[in-house]
Amino acid sequence: MSGAGRGWGFAAPALIWTGAFFVVPFLVMGAMSLATLEGREVVWGISGENYADLWSRPYLRRAVLVSVEITLTVTAVSVLLAYPLAWIIAHRVPERWQRLALMLAILPFWTSYVVRSYAWLLVLGREEWINDALTGIGLIAEPLTLANTRFATVTGFVHFFTMLLTLTIYANLRQLSPNYARAAADLGANGFRTFAHVILPLTLPGIVTGAFLTFVLCIGDYVTPQILGGNTELTVPQVIMVQLGRRADFPLAAALAIVLMLLVSLAYLASARWLRLDRV
Amino acid sequence: MIRRSALLASAATAAAPALAQDELNALVWCDHTDPALIEPFEEEHGVRVNLREYEGTGAALALLDQSRPGDWDVLVIDAIDVFRAAQAGILAPLPAEELPTGDFFPEVVLEANNSQDGETYAVTEKFGYNTISFNSDAVEPEAMTSLANAWSEDYAGRISIYDYYLPVMGLAAIAEGIPTGKIDADSLETISATLGTMRDRAASVAGVVAAQTALATGEVDIVVGGGEWLTAVLQEERPELTWTIPEEGAVLWAQSIGVLADSARKDLATEFVKYIVSPEGQARLATSSCFWGMPANREAGAHLSDAQKEILRWDAQEDYLSRAQLYPAPDEDLDIEMQDLWLDTLQR
Amino acid sequence: MRGVAWIFLGAMFGFIYLPVAALVLFSFQGGSLPVPPFDGPSLAWYADILGDRDLMAALRHSLVVALASGAVSVALGFGAAYGLARHDLKGQAVLRGLLIAPLTVSYLIVGLGLLIVLQRLGAGLSLWTAGIGHVVINLPLCFAILYAAMGAQQENAERAARDLGAGEARVVLLVTVPMLAAPILAAFFLSVTLSWDEFIIAFLLTRFDVTLPVEIWSLLRSGLSPRLNAVGSLVFLVSVAVVLAMEILVLRRRA
Repeated sequence: MSGAGRGWGFAAPALIWTGAFFVVPFLVMGAMSLATLEGREVVWGISGENYADLWSRPYLRRAVLVSVEITLTVTAVSVLLAYPLAWIIAHRVPERWQRLALMLAILPFWTSYVVRSYAWLLVLGREEWINDALTGIGLIAEPLTLANTRFATVTGFVHFFTMLLTLTIYANLRQLSPNYARAAADLGANGFRTFAHVILPLTLPGIVTGAFLTFVLCIGDYVTPQILGGNTELTVPQVIMVQLGRRADFPLAAALAIVLMLLVSLAYLASARWLRLDRV
Repeated sequence: MIRRSALLASAATAAAPALAQDELNALVWCDHTDPALIEPFEEEHGVRVNLREYEGTGAALALLDQSRPGDWDVLVIDAIDVFRAAQAGILAPLPAEELPTGDFFPEVVLEANNSQDGETYAVTEKFGYNTISFNSDAVEPEAMTSLANAWSEDYAGRISIYDYYLPVMGLAAIAEGIPTGKIDADSLETISATLGTMRDRAASVAGVVAAQTALATGEVDIVVGGGEWLTAVLQEERPELTWTIPEEGAVLWAQSIGVLADSARKDLATEFVKYIVSPEGQARLATSSCFWGMPANREAGAHLSDAQKEILRWDAQEDYLSRAQLYPAPDEDLDIEMQDLWLDTLQR
Repeated sequence: MRGVAWIFLGAMFGFIYLPVAALVLFSFQGGSLPVPPFDGPSLAWYADILGDRDLMAALRHSLVVALASGAVSVALGFGAAYGLARHDLKGQAVLRGLLIAPLTVSYLIVGLGLLIVLQRLGAGLSLWTAGIGHVVINLPLCFAILYAAMGAQQENAERAARDLGAGEARVVLLVTVPMLAAPILAAFFLSVTLSWDEFIIAFLLTRFDVTLPVEIWSLLRSGLSPRLNAVGSLVFLVSVAVVLAMEILVLRRRA
């Protein structure tokens, strides 16, 4: 028996599983997105109606926009918070406490995912706490509404993804040999230049990989905006669930899923240069 | 000992031929998942009741379409949508003479909705109102006697809208003097304007938990579309969170229960329906953990405490029923139009 | 500068623990509303959830689905990683891409696709179908972790074993698997964690028997109650205990 034959034997179950339960459903969903719903019957065919609806129905168009805006905000804010946090843990916290600090920083990761958003609802619903604090230090003059807004959705997301990114960025920073920074300093670079020209480029693949994962998970998430967003603006996953839950419009839901997929592909293309998905 | 239980068992079998079958699959609303409601039936009949919750009638009908025959036995459905299910041939006729509809509040028997061509396909089990819930410490109760006033400029930013299109659009229609039964494509324009006003002044559009949290924390003071089902569970601890029916009226919601035509256990399913509309079942359903609501059967009153009746506003029902209008019942095309309008308004 | 770093660290920890603190605090609420003022402490809500038949059943279901789907994911992922790393298969890059692909797709899409196919086939929904979905999303991770872990060191040992006359099965079971025990465990643990906490696929693909996140979701839709806080806190405490236990075990072994 040839080596390749044996290799196929080992890989076959995984390939078959992925083919049967991922590729085939994905293709069927693609076909479904070209079907139409008449009454309660799905009529198969090649129709662009669902995609045309994306333009003709304002709420669908808006959902795409809302999803992209929220996801980009979340990704940017999460990276901006996680990078310094990971940096401080890697470079300021004494070596022997680092593992503990990192553990503590990501421990709430293990709260149930559905419950985590609900917990934010409780915190933000009681907005006096936060408003008192903010007006107290003179940041704002008028109390803000926090719960049931985009702010709440973004906060819930950022909380989760900051933990995720802190973990990946910390691992990246630790892999860097301190010799790089030392060499840059020897060559006369100050702290900022060392960071901008040496550390940042070297950690960029890690950041981009983490940011891409954030993008994928965030744009496809239903629970967080549904619990925290106050439904005054709907994201694509929320609209998909409305189509399924209230009118069982599978063709339109499938088309929206394909759109979601395209958005992720765009993000992939934008970040492909730096992506290291095989090393997640 | 063994002989005695065997005897009992055979006696029970003789009395209830359904005993040999041990499972019943029901597609329901969340109030039916309360063990306090289901367990007595399970024990009495020695069966297990499997429950699955669903959200909209459209989704339930699609789910039934795609299931294998015999997958489902019992369906709980909006009373106004029974005709859709009956026309689709999904529901089996019920033995009307065995149902205690004579003891019901007459306004909620809803014979026109629950039957078709003289056959009864479902029976009303619970009802209540989509109206105005509010915090009486923050809002003058007198001010809430007018619908339009509830979402007037005075309360901008202190309003939450319940996240379900039918009752809220029904309330908008009532405020504009359009009867809920007369909503059509033309009147949607008027409703749309009112809905827009509501939306502009609302702080959020909220599901049950979000609306309750918002009321309880003082984030909002008014929930348009609320009612006893929203605030009854809060009442014990926060008596200031209350509800009223404005002068223009409010929307009456009613849920019905029926047996599925494809069910292989129709006898047991019918027993379940009979249990739900019995006075005991009705009292448990009315105060079920998910949401409270009035039992359709007046005899349930004997099994409810005075405190419970007070929260349900038992004594005010006659007045309320005379002013409430049934949920809008759009056909499929109008339904889609209404949902699109709703989503467009939310997404502004 | 140093001061700023510590203040930032403190603020971030505050942010990270704020919701957890609110969640746990109000799980001990005496009354039936998990909002201020706090009127506990009371353990009533913990007693309530531990006596809840549906919740406890959901908890068991979640455990079974997580362990089973984790085991299948690791087994399939290991096979694929071994096959691709040790044998020169045609179209390596394409195969790797195919196996990793589900990772780049939202869980919602995986669930929706499976739901459509299952309905077309007339297949019923159950914990099995949710488990299948969980394997789809965890297999890429297991594959990636194990593929990266297969280095030259194991390959040499495998070759030595083969030279000594061991068959392929014995080589894999007695050489490769023990040498890769740590990454295999890591992949399994990660899969179990992700499946345990996964919501949308389980929500779309189950019927009567549901997993814990789905049951929590129904609770969440049915009304405000400290019961939710109690469930959330309990899940958190148990998960943390498991994580710490793993951490201590792994640390001890290394030391």
